[in-house]
Amino acid sequence: MGQPESLKMPITETEEKYDESIKEKALIVKDLIKIYKGSSDPALSGLDISVNHGEIFGLLGPNGAGKTTAISIMSTLLRPTSGSVIICGIDAVKQPNRIKKLIGLVPQDIALYANLTVRENLRYFGRICGLKGQVLKDRIAECLEMVGLEKKADQLIFKFSGGMKRRANLAAGILHKPRILFLDEPTVGIDAQSRNMILEKLSMLKETGTTMIYTTHYMSEAEQLCTSVAIIDEGHIITEGSPQQLINRPPGHTGLKDLFLALTGKRLRD
Amino acid sequence: MYKTGATIIKELLLVLRDRAGMLVLFLMPALLVLVITLVQENVMKTMGEKSTRILLVDKEQQSIGQTVEKRLLESGLVEIVKKLNGKKVEEKEAVEAVIDGDFQLCIIIPKGITKSVKAKARQVVMKSLSVDDTPAGKEIQRHDIAVYFDPTVLGGFRSAILNSLKLVIVGIEIDEKMKVLSELLPEHINKTIKKEMGSFVPDNLIKDIPGIQLDFKSDPLLKVKENKASRDAFEKTPTSVQQNVPAWALFGIFFIVVPMAGGLIKERHDQTLLRLLTMPVSYITLITGKVIAYVFVCLIQFGLILLIGKFLLPLLGSPMLEMGSDPIAVIIIAISAILAAAGYGILLGTVARTYEQASMFGPISIVIAAALGGIMVPVYAMPIIMQEISVLSPLAWGLDAFLDIFVRGGNITTVLPEVFMLIFFFIITMLTSWVYFFRRTRNGF
Repeated sequence: MGQPESLKMPITETEEKYDESIKEKALIVKDLIKIYKGSSDPALSGLDISVNHGEIFGLLGPNGAGKTTAISIMSTLLRPTSGSVIICGIDAVKQPNRIKKLIGLVPQDIALYANLTVRENLRYFGRICGLKGQVLKDRIAECLEMVGLEKKADQLIFKFSGGMKRRANLAAGILHKPRILFLDEPTVGIDAQSRNMILEKLSMLKETGTTMIYTTHYMSEAEQLCTSVAIIDEGHIITEGSPQQLINRPPGHTGLKDLFLALTGKRLRD
Repeated sequence: MYKTGATIIKELLLVLRDRAGMLVLFLMPALLVLVITLVQENVMKTMGEKSTRILLVDKEQQSIGQTVEKRLLESGLVEIVKKLNGKKVEEKEAVEAVIDGDFQLCIIIPKGITKSVKAKARQVVMKSLSVDDTPAGKEIQRHDIAVYFDPTVLGGFRSAILNSLKLVIVGIEIDEKMKVLSELLPEHINKTIKKEMGSFVPDNLIKDIPGIQLDFKSDPLLKVKENKASRDAFEKTPTSVQQNVPAWALFGIFFIVVPMAGGLIKERHDQTLLRLLTMPVSYITLITGKVIAYVFVCLIQFGLILLIGKFLLPLLGSPMLEMGSDPIAVIIIAISAILAAAGYGILLGTVARTYEQASMFGPISIVIAAALGGIMVPVYAMPIIMQEISVLSPLAWGLDAFLDIFVRGGNITTVLPEVFMLIFFFIITMLTSWVYFFRRTRNGF
């Protein structure tokens, strides 16, 4: 895979010299184990993931399978019990501060200040990422346009509809042009139009070379969007490949949903 | 610094848009200062800390009444009212006004008191001069000065008024007796000499007794001099304004724990903090920005409370707030107290799991610390055990430092121990929250 366009145009302090690392994979997770304090069962038990630059990697799994733990470790929020996470050639466990300059996160909740406008939110998060002056203004304008909120830019977040909040949440995650974007169920609980728009924009983002790690419970989304998918249960991957490869795998499935239920069972996971 | 600045701006915007938080930060302490100061002004009146308006009913309008009025005014203890609604007040009306609580007391000068006092003085002097050969004469009826107190008037003030009146009466008695003595003494001496020496002595050998000074009070033999214990020339009577303005300003400052802790918990719950922690910014930068923003907000709040003490309270009849002679020290104390409050807010916001926990525990703990710290009742008025406990309250350190400057004439050197204690409290709370935060986040959000 060639060098993504976004990597060639440094705009922030996040864009430091990682010439060596960009030749490698975007993300390599090796034998990742996480055992929470006070718990006997591991949340992750030997997770292995390998993601190329510019890929959208779907991480699917039932509740409690370890998706959020995996994303938390990959995005430097949690320390693993053992194992390694290499992002663009940098060890995320040993050098979390360097990794923070390369990643973006779109959390499951609306991680925005409800009493600020979307523009104020973006300005704040942009400044925290080191964006300044005209570059910051331009990026805010681009992101607002991308998520269709340019006309609502000066409206307080708490007045937004669910779909608008989700789109604003996405804008805050991509503002600083991260090399790897972690998306934790970014379309949960919104209308079809907003979901469709978000998926379209993520596809556009993929075209610019951004690597994405995507968790969702909507199998159709994963089928439509992801270049490769891993199904995770009980802390490790039970199968992975491109959506089509997985669906076609014998004995053959009607879709990812069918495969997912076949692999993880129909037992409720509370 | 750029990221700290961004956080400061964000926090200020959030504070400005949080109406409930603004009420807690600005309106509540402003109202508390106004209400408590004005209420305590009235309490201090009933305790005699301020000159009190009293009713004086002089039924005879002669020298005794005039002397009583003049000397009470000279004491500075009272303001005398003799008319109600433009009409001269009568005894019944005056007593009614006291019963209604409109006045703390009234003094009634009865009719005939001047005549009876003069007659009694003459009788007493004559009796003393005639030794044992003068008849006692007709018994003279005594007319007493009556005082009616409102039952709410406290004991100390009652005693002060009664003692003042007794002093006035003693003065009048001495005056009257001396007048009679100076009138009767020459006659008595003449009579005695004539009696001893017979017709050789002319009728008026001694016309006057030379050297008798009638006004004894103008040159008293002893005086009590009242001194205030203060460190330099500046001294200020501790009025309710001097106590309440810094006290409730501190209380307001410490109430920032509620919006501060609430903001932190909200950031944690809605995952904005989680997003921030994946960004290239340290937790210390985020917290520093938050603390600086609240220092700024609280300094405005503190300035507002001082302005109320300086300009608004005097308009409502209270004394003006005097802020001592070291404004730099006042600002340093204020900043130290704000830091201590901010540290506590951060600790509470870190340790509490829900907004409900913080909004319950925060205000209650502040009210307890305020009560212990002498915000509501001065520490010296507490039982010994409570006085010993009160040294643990950061509000006590802050208030003591402010009173050092506002009342005791202190300066920055005087308040350094309290300032260090407040900053130490800030450091300890920040370190504790930092450790707690990382222990919690290490094991998952």
